[in-house]
Amino acid sequence: MSDNQNSDGGVPTTGHIWDDNLADLTNQPPRWWMLGLTGSAVWVVVYWLMYPSVPFSTSGTFFEGIGLPGTGKWTAIKEMQEDQKVVDAVRMPFENKIKDMTPAAILADKELSEYVVRSGKVLFGDNCAACHGQNGVGTVDKQGLFAPILNDDDWLFGGTIDKIHETIVGGRQAIMTPHKDSLKPEQIDAVAKYVKALSEGKGDSEPDGKKVFMESDCTACHGPDAKGIQAMGSANLTDKIWRFDGSLEGIKRTIAYGVNAGPDSRIAVMPNFKEAGKLSDSEIKKLAVYVYKFGGGIKDDVPAAAPAAAAPSAN
Amino acid sequence: MEATQATPVKYDMDVVRWFTIMAVVYAVVGTLIGVYVASELAWPFLNFDIPEITFGRLRPLHTNAVIFAFGGCTLMATGYYMVQRTGGTRLWSNGLAWFTFWGWNLIIVLAVITLPLGMTQSKEYAELEWPIDILIAIVWVAFGLNHIMTNTIRKTSHIYVSNWFTMAMIVMIAYLHIVNSLAIPVSLTQSVSVFSGVQDAMVQWWWGHNAVGFYLTAGFLGIMYYFVPKQSGRPVFSYRLSVLHFWTLSFGYVWLGAHHLQYTALPDWTGSLGAAISLAMIIPSWGGAMNGMMTLSGAWDKLRTDYILRFLVTSLAFYAMSTFDGPVMAIKTVNALSHYTDWTVGHVHAGALGWMAMVSFGALYHMVKKLWNTEMYSDSLVNVHFWVALIGSVIYIVAMWVSGIMQGLMWRDYDEYGTLTYTFVETVSAMHPYYAMRAVGGAIFNLGTWIMLYNVVMTVRQANAARRVSAVPANA
Amino acid sequence: MSDHDKVYSTKLQDKIERNTLLMFVAVALAVAVGGIVEIVPLFYLPNTAMLGGDGTMNGTAHKDANGNVVASVVWKPQAGQTLEDWKPGDGVRPYKPLELAGRTVFIREGCYLCHSQMIRPFRDEKDRYGHYSIAEESMYDHPFQWGSKRTGPDLARVGGKYSDEWHRRHLKYPREVVPESVMPNYFFLEKKMVDPDQTIKTMEVMASMPFNPVPRDIYSASYIASAKAQVEGKTEMDAVIAFLQSLGNHVKFQEGVNYRD
Ligand code: HEC
Ligand code: HEC
Ligand code: HEC
Ligand code: HEM
Ligand code: HEM
Ligand SMILES: [Ca+2]
Ligand SMILES: [Ca+2]
Ligand SMILES: [Cu+2]
Repeated sequence: MSDNQNSDGGVPTTGHIWDDNLADLTNQPPRWWMLGLTGSAVWVVVYWLMYPSVPFSTSGTFFEGIGLPGTGKWTAIKEMQEDQKVVDAVRMPFENKIKDMTPAAILADKELSEYVVRSGKVLFGDNCAACHGQNGVGTVDKQGLFAPILNDDDWLFGGTIDKIHETIVGGRQAIMTPHKDSLKPEQIDAVAKYVKALSEGKGDSEPDGKKVFMESDCTACHGPDAKGIQAMGSANLTDKIWRFDGSLEGIKRTIAYGVNAGPDSRIAVMPNFKEAGKLSDSEIKKLAVYVYKFGGGIKDDVPAAAPAAAAPSAN
Repeated sequence: MEATQATPVKYDMDVVRWFTIMAVVYAVVGTLIGVYVASELAWPFLNFDIPEITFGRLRPLHTNAVIFAFGGCTLMATGYYMVQRTGGTRLWSNGLAWFTFWGWNLIIVLAVITLPLGMTQSKEYAELEWPIDILIAIVWVAFGLNHIMTNTIRKTSHIYVSNWFTMAMIVMIAYLHIVNSLAIPVSLTQSVSVFSGVQDAMVQWWWGHNAVGFYLTAGFLGIMYYFVPKQSGRPVFSYRLSVLHFWTLSFGYVWLGAHHLQYTALPDWTGSLGAAISLAMIIPSWGGAMNGMMTLSGAWDKLRTDYILRFLVTSLAFYAMSTFDGPVMAIKTVNALSHYTDWTVGHVHAGALGWMAMVSFGALYHMVKKLWNTEMYSDSLVNVHFWVALIGSVIYIVAMWVSGIMQGLMWRDYDEYGTLTYTFVETVSAMHPYYAMRAVGGAIFNLGTWIMLYNVVMTVRQANAARRVSAVPANA
Repeated sequence: MSDHDKVYSTKLQDKIERNTLLMFVAVALAVAVGGIVEIVPLFYLPNTAMLGGDGTMNGTAHKDANGNVVASVVWKPQAGQTLEDWKPGDGVRPYKPLELAGRTVFIREGCYLCHSQMIRPFRDEKDRYGHYSIAEESMYDHPFQWGSKRTGPDLARVGGKYSDEWHRRHLKYPREVVPESVMPNYFFLEKKMVDPDQTIKTMEVMASMPFNPVPRDIYSASYIASAKAQVEGKTEMDAVIAFLQSLGNHVKFQEGVNYRD
């Protein structure tokens, strides 16, 4: 191939030959390509005129662009605000109402609670499900249940709408003192057996443990009936629902090392979503209703449409 | 076939032979690691609780292995090969070339050791720690010097177009690597970038994009400009197109880095600069693709029998496709969707598998035949490799495009109440089938590289045996 | 047959093609432009979180809807204050020793390959992750950790979202808390201790950066000296968790203020 001719078109090469047979033809670039190249140059100039570009300046700013036809100067923030308006148009009618309502009032409003159930899904899924599981079913790992199950009617701190709301606003960190020093190992053994028996409805079969339970400080927190005291978030020990781990070993560990009380104790921290600024007031209210609606919510006698000021959150 | 040269030149081809072999080996290794990291995303138990092989430590090894080991050896093999043959001269310094061979392979070995140990600067494609960075700079400059000096002692009046592209790559990568790697050491194995936040992001993606633009694109366009005309026996379609697209591409590509940072905390003007020129880059890019394709005009029938040419032509098609996909993704509204998703990964691999790897395979097969002065051990295995590579690439790319767009749409989906529809973990589980599909596509692609390795090894053995019999030294 | 010396492009191009040095110079100039235009202004324009020679952030001023300038979002210690006196919302601050050690682990493990730390100004990202990220928030991030792929969620505002215990259990075995997760198990972080000397050296380096160094009134000699006590006996797990909990709560964002310009 040392001839410089293109056999098809008879177009000559530039006459240079490299490595025996490399050559290039003198074809013009395709017409569309040249037009495209010119068009691209024009495009770049136009784009830079319309959008913020050219960063060189003496005034400490940059060229902001002359803007797009009809919409004015473009900025990323403006674009976001425009997009925001579209969703706001749909949700603002609901959000405006929710803003001044108590969670209980929202719950009582059929239309609003439907809205909350829909909008609560991602709110709960992205913020709470990591601990409480999708739909509040709880999350169990090697160390037991991580956080309380929310779709049952057993509540540590109370299942009324206002209590749930209070939990999310302020977070929770219940404390159970460790008993490894105040109780002897065999006492811990006994009381653990008693607690386990209690949950099976056979409390009387463990009189030794019962004695420890009644005479130690257990009743101070769990009550003499061992049903728990919601004001302090202590667990109900008479049901089959275990907050941490219902095996004998698990119970012993809870009793020996306590909860949120130093080394080896069980850790139970519900973050404070208000202080962390993660969620807005409305979002927290929506979540309270959403959690209530898992099905375990407890009706209370607080009037449904109490004014906002009465809600525990309004401070 | 090829006309013999009036005055035969003896070239320095031993170093090229070794770079060629290593390129094939690293193609196997790099894509194998790719398959493994892909599988880790599909089946996370594959992390096996071994820190050194968790996804976060293995992914940089994958990118470094394919870009710098496979890509780098291909670029150096072809770089030394083309500059000698197109200049009609031996290398300026054969010794320096051997230095780059050992230096580059040392760097790769160090990467294989340090990245799984978690020694990283965390800058994508520039993860290697500072002592290795210094080594890279030295070896790269040695390669550049050798290449450029060989150009100066060429016998031809003009520098061949391939060497323009290689030169642009050498210069740009030197700039990028040195600036982006500026860091203060804390210890031998840890250092901290001198830049922070916004400035660091821009410097990194100025590097990141142009590692793609000059290393994976300009460098490989140089390869294309030599091997497509050579393999097809046709002159380059248009000299003018070469000139125009070379300068527009070299000048323009540098600006694109900002398209990786649109809507981030950088000022709006940076994104606009990047977006505008990105879209404009379709034309220069297609100039290269067109010039390669049109070179074949009148020779299309060769595709029926020439499997090497199939690789080269297909690579041009993928090049055209990924340089369309990329500019589209640079448009602000599209990037808002595609950024952070698998769409980017699909785009990357359209370029990486379809273009960069395919054109390399074509060039490597071509060189193997020339360097060992023989035919391939099996031409039909070349054909099998071609189909396997093509099918694997298509499965990979399609899976990622679908999952990327789906992911982007799910993240931003609002229901009729104006609230988000999907939780994040729902999008994670939705990815699973596509991650599995990608792993399968990748495995198929990887299979092809094994076939290539086998074929090349057998070819070399066959050539060496033949040479021993005839006792005539192979003519490089 | 064509004439060997005929020029098919331009005289200059022909000259360049004949002269290696000329081509080298021409290429070196052509490829330098784009980078200079895009990078250099980021060092002196406002809104790029670059501490200028005059002690301001190159004159950055964030304004509310009425055009009033809001207070600086970057924390400056009052006389006698140390990093330990800083409270969420006080403004962007450098990392405390344990957090810095955690950041090193975060980088080492390649978390940034799955997690971004950059919330874009979109309505959906606001709903999911919170206020968009601003330049100042990563001004002490040498190198930046914005990421380019969200295999997992953005972490820019993950601080305070979960308890330390959740992070511990999640990092150890992610799929036990989030069954759908594809994140690797990082239980081995509990087995390795933070190296105090390394942390102290990193703090020294952070304070001697040419651009955006940590001010010496924050990383004072005495504060750096206190680092040893702060990280001694802590595991890498503690460190990563401290790092995660420090993300995203530095600035108290005000409604209606444009923090991008
Ligand atoms: C870091 C883990 C974590 C996250 C995130 C979390 N929680 Fe909790 N949550 C807990 C723990 C632990 C408890 C139990 C606290 C205790 O026992 O002191 C709890 C308790 C609760 C309770 C009280 C249950 C009862 O039985 O009284 C409710 C209601 C609740 N969480 C709702 C939510 C909602 C709604 C969200 C999301 C906004 C959320 N939680 C996020 C860990 C978490
Ligand atoms: C200071 C208050 C306090 C005292 C005293 C106390 N508890 Fe508790 N206990 C709690 C709280 C609060 C919880 C629930 C923690 C949580 O779920 O966050 C709890 C939980 C438990 C649990 C776990 C229940 C489950 O569902 O897993 C057991 C078992 C238990 N206590 C037994 C005892 C026994 C036995 C004693 C006496 C030896 C005792 N507690 C003393 C406060 C106390
Ligand atoms: C293979 C990808 C991958 C790697 C590597 C990875 N993650 Fe994740 N990460 C995920 C995915 C997927 C999720 C979402 C599911 C979940 O919560 O586990 C996640 C979730 C998280 C979350 C919860 C965020 C939220 O807001 O719910 C944190 C915190 C986190 N990862 C931290 C880390 C840290 C720290 C590292 C490194 C030591 C890391 N991740 C490495 C994939 C990854
Ligand atoms: C068998 C073939 C391959 C497989 C299975 C594969 C797989 C992968 C996977 C799983 C990732 C990580 C994606 C993520 O984080 O979600 C990745 C990233 C990457 N791969 Fe590959 N890969 C292959 C071949 C290649 C080749 C040949 C190249 C050549 C350059 C390449 C270049 C890259 C790059 C640059 C990235 C980073 C992408 C980004 O940051 O967006 N890969 N690959
Ligand atoms: C004109 C040509 C091209 C343009 C305009 C372009 C544009 C883009 C854009 C917009 C992104 C996504 C940035 C983001 O959202 O983060 C991207 C990513 C990427 N592209 Fe291209 N692209 C082009 C060609 C190519 C080619 C040919 C390759 C060859 C391999 C390639 C490799 C990559 C890689 C590796 C990334 C991933 C970077 C990361 O890790 O995030 N691109 N490109
Ligand atoms: Ca419950
Ligand atoms: Ca590096
Ligand atoms: Cu790019």
